Amino acid sequence: MEMLLMGACLSVFGLAVCCLAFGAATRDVANGAAAEPAVEKEAILAAASPAHFFVVPPAIPVAARTRIPIEALLLQIENHVRLEHAAAECFLESPNASLLHSRTMSSLVN
Amino acid sequence: MAAIDLLNGLAPEEAERVLALGTRVAVTTGGELFHLGDTAESIYLVKRGRLRLTLPMQVRSHQEDILVEELSSGQTVGWSALIPPYRFTLTACAPLETEVIALSREALTRYFAAHPDTGYAVASNLSRVIGQRLQLLQAMWLREIQRMVEARCA
Repeated sequence: MEMLLMGACLSVFGLAVCCLAFGAATRDVANGAAAEPAVEKEAILAAASPAHFFVVPPAIPVAARTRIPIEALLLQIENHVRLEHAAAECFLESPNASLLHSRTMSSLVN
Repeated sequence: MAAIDLLNGLAPEEAERVLALGTRVAVTTGGELFHLGDTAESIYLVKRGRLRLTLPMQVRSHQEDILVEELSSGQTVGWSALIPPYRFTLTACAPLETEVIALSREALTRYFAAHPDTGYAVASNLSRVIGQRLQLLQAMWLREIQRMVEARCA
């Protein structure tokens, strides 16, 4: 009888431990599932944010951009403006769609 | 000095008379000729050197003056002086020693009232200058929009 009770107690204890472990595991998954849409939502909001003239598209990781010293970034912007100016002048000399959408070598957008 | 776009088509002596209305202004390296939002009283002809036209942009929470256009000898800047509300819409500074001829709105208006043919020629040249810059900026703007569309559709 004692053996039977001992076995039952151990079974209940084991079941409780299993329940706790399962609960913890499923809670992590639930949190992760909730976090993913939040990240996705941020990305969508960033992509949908109002665009500004000369602003780089959000596809480039922010961390990668912040590593560039500001002086270098300003030079990139200036170089980009000069290249775009030259491209626009080429278009005005001979207006056609291919010249209007010619590719740029600008490091700001490549 | 290179041919002045604003005086294109005028007889040399007539162009000289218009230039005589102006005053020479020297801008030192790094100096500012006019600032965004300032009252625009004069239009400027670049006689020597170079001018950078800039607009403010927020770069990493700092306001930076970003180059929009660069002008050299013979080019005209500051046509806001002839168009209401007479406020500069850009900042102009000199990256090197620069000399410009400042033509005041008041002097030009008075002279053109007395010499309508000259006024017409200068107004035509001015509209060509403004039109070319508008077309240039339109093309630049559309290229940026195209890139944004490509980035979003990628």
